Amino acid sequence: MRDLKHLIFFENLLQEANNDLVKQARNEGKKALGYTCYFMPEVLLDLPGCFSVRLRAPRSASPDMATYYMSGRTCHYGRSLMERALEGGFNFLDAQMATETCTVTCRFQEHLQRMDIIQNPDFFCEFTDVPFKKTENSVVHFRKQLQAHVLDKLHEKFGIDVSDEAMMTAIEEHNEVCRLITEIGSYRKLDVPTITGYEFHVIQLVSLVCPKYLILPYLRETAEELRTREPDRKPTWRVKVALSGAENDDPDFTKLIESCGALVVADRYCYGSLPGREEIAVAEGQPPLDAIARHYLETSMCPRFMPQDLMRGRKKYLADIVREYKADGLIVASNKFCEYWSYERTMDALILPRDYGIPTCSIEKEYVNSASGQLRTRFQAFIESVEIKKIQEGAKK
Amino acid sequence: MKKINWKKLKETDWKKAAKDFWYGKPHGERRLGDLYLPKTGLYKHREWRGVKDTLYYFNKIWLYNYGQMVMDIMKFGGPVIFAKGLWRYRWMGQTYLPVLHWFDRGLEGLRGEALRASAWHYRAMTCVTIQQFMAMFRADANLHGGQHNEAWKHSIAHKETVWGGIFYPWWGEYQNIPLEMIPYFVTCHVNNHTVLNYIDAVQSIGLPGDPCPMCQAEAGLFVLDDMPDYAPFVITSNEACDGSVASTAIQDWFLNKPLFAMPQPMQFDDPLVQEHCANEIREVWKFIEEQTGTPFSWDKLKEHLERQNELMRFEWEKWDVAANTSSYPINGVAQALYRIYQSQYGDNFIWHDTDKRVRKILEKCVAQKIDTFPKTRHRVIAWSCAPLYFSNWCTWAYNCWGLNTIINMDSLMFNMTIRTDNLDDCVMDMARYHEWAPMRRMAVGGMHHIFELWENMERFHCDMVMMYDQLQCKGMQGVHGLFEDEFRARNIHAIWMPHALPDKRTVSRSEIRTIINDYMTTVMQEEPLDPSLLDFDDSESW
Repeated sequence: MRDLKHLIFFENLLQEANNDLVKQARNEGKKALGYTCYFMPEVLLDLPGCFSVRLRAPRSASPDMATYYMSGRTCHYGRSLMERALEGGFNFLDAQMATETCTVTCRFQEHLQRMDIIQNPDFFCEFTDVPFKKTENSVVHFRKQLQAHVLDKLHEKFGIDVSDEAMMTAIEEHNEVCRLITEIGSYRKLDVPTITGYEFHVIQLVSLVCPKYLILPYLRETAEELRTREPDRKPTWRVKVALSGAENDDPDFTKLIESCGALVVADRYCYGSLPGREEIAVAEGQPPLDAIARHYLETSMCPRFMPQDLMRGRKKYLADIVREYKADGLIVASNKFCEYWSYERTMDALILPRDYGIPTCSIEKEYVNSASGQLRTRFQAFIESVEIKKIQEGAKK
Repeated sequence: MKKINWKKLKETDWKKAAKDFWYGKPHGERRLGDLYLPKTGLYKHREWRGVKDTLYYFNKIWLYNYGQMVMDIMKFGGPVIFAKGLWRYRWMGQTYLPVLHWFDRGLEGLRGEALRASAWHYRAMTCVTIQQFMAMFRADANLHGGQHNEAWKHSIAHKETVWGGIFYPWWGEYQNIPLEMIPYFVTCHVNNHTVLNYIDAVQSIGLPGDPCPMCQAEAGLFVLDDMPDYAPFVITSNEACDGSVASTAIQDWFLNKPLFAMPQPMQFDDPLVQEHCANEIREVWKFIEEQTGTPFSWDKLKEHLERQNELMRFEWEKWDVAANTSSYPINGVAQALYRIYQSQYGDNFIWHDTDKRVRKILEKCVAQKIDTFPKTRHRVIAWSCAPLYFSNWCTWAYNCWGLNTIINMDSLMFNMTIRTDNLDDCVMDMARYHEWAPMRRMAVGGMHHIFELWENMERFHCDMVMMYDQLQCKGMQGVHGLFEDEFRARNIHAIWMPHALPDKRTVSRSEIRTIINDYMTTVMQEEPLDPSLLDFDDSESW
């Protein structure tokens, strides 16, 4: 396939948290607001006058200083963020909008609160409590939390306009990003997709880590480009897979899978677009904050949700994605020391093949995938097994 | 025939021998470690504590408790159902008979009032344990040919981290029984080998080894089908951590019963979260009403909360004595286990009986200014979660080094009484109570909670910290470095005790003892009170 015009530019934006577009927005006087989790609605951090940056620690090596603070027995992602913060890589942040949604990212953010790490005199870190259910009680609670710990704080500290009109403006901009990403992602559903998993991963990530108003023109142009993009005459992949799991902001991980012969056609993981890039619908007369609170609770498929129907519904959602995107199999990857995804992955690996007939490969990985040799072997073996299954199914028919 | 050693007889100080016989050897001369059979932790012969205390131990602890263990079985269901449960469930078969060895480990070396008060705590825990497993067995469909009997229909299953007080409104009509309290939690203390099997079981289906081993063991019970089927529905909670939330999904899959999740907010200091939490409690009550068809009773709730408040008030009196005198007659392990058990489980007649007995002893100690742990060299506060397979480390540490554990973090949870004058205030207090649960009160909602250590050190006049280092607890591992910084900055002696909660294979009891020994000899430059306890092999012990 012809190279995407902005791919290299996008790749470069992912080399630093404080990338060129972040710098540009800050130079324009906008406030940079960090966050780590989908439960912190990025749309609220993208109100006029500020912008959201979902934190990553690209090009991380060994997190030695963070390991002193958080020990070597916590998630590598949380420690890498801590290391990057200690190195000064997040000094551009004006605030961290935190959630206690998984233990290690919570501890990372608490360190930002307690220690003088971020060298920015205006910096503050504010926590929002996030419910574990999607009931009306939870929605009301979440809405109150967002009002008190996000909107009121932004207004109080930075004078951000948090009116309904301002929120509607942010929602419109957010929805355009979602429409574009959804459109771009939809080409993965084709029998012969016109976008690779790696390319999509890069595009989805830049939409999370760059100011929306600055990345939008590039996304529009990329979407336009993809409308007429022709697939390769001879596909370079042998099977198609959906990728599910814990935090994954590393496009090279997707590239690794694809280099083994499996095209990644669906991204159901933290930092992915499924879910994450659904448009926010505001009903007539509905306060925008209410719509936002509902949207983020209702769309999330986080293993943190505890009600029985949601625990079971997550498996069906995953199976539906596999079918919708015409994947031949599923790779579930959890980060080492991630409690939520250790269990979720174990269950996915048991239930999806048994109840839905989906071949599943279960992988434990690090934030930095230095063990790519072992992972490559696992993926190659999985791809072969899926191919054999397809051949056997073809023979039966 | 063995020759009489006249020389030895001649050299014997008979006056001292008589004194030792009557009062027991003084601390420092006991050599308790010499009593053990290698590896087993069993005694060659029982410890001679002097005439009075040895007779007390034999009569009022050993014999009395064996008797009570039989009586309780008869009282709460009878020998037939007990025998069926003993045969069917591994955790039951492996732990019932070693119970008195658990007493022995926790009460080793104790004398006088400390021996008596601590032993009553053990008795209470044993009684509540029997009540629970007998209630499970009476209702268990597995033991009744798959039939759901009346007891099954009148039982409520819940995660052990759901506070028993939530179910007070149905007191007498429905019995709430925590899922894992007996099969996992109590089991670990009594026989540390038993849970290893459950941890291995859950890892055998693909779970990695790094999540919290407590949650692993709890999930493993279900993988091995070693959980009684005793209730028609289940209540769960997000306490204490991510692992607990995540393992619920596995448990749900195996249980396959109606389930209600009753999560608590993480940021519990925030006044805005209280209403949400209170509503969750109201929602669970609605769910129970729907499932049972039995209405909520405010009178029952009120009655049992008031009884529970009594327990809390006495606990405060105990803390006051522990903090400000040397007459506190309860040792570290009895204090910790009784408090966590009582406050988590909720109201029960045995707690009140025990508190009455302990009150008498406590008042006597204070009135007569009895120094209950006379060889105390350091007053220790134990912080974070303890190793369940070596909860009696504090008994050993006192006997060996004079380290007297005055209080521990989990005792300080649930630190409140609950208003009962009207339902609205009551529910708000219940919400707060539940938010202050063990392993949670200090662990979530901000680091300032975990650093309440400093004020509690001061409050309980402690000069040393035993810092539990649960290697697979992400919350505590995530704050490791800041503790190091603070200990240095405050010039506090802290011993890090690595462990893996129920899993003795990660750090053995012997390794824990070595770590403490090393600190005491190299950093504190102290000599042991009982050198025979420094190093011994109890790897095969219960």
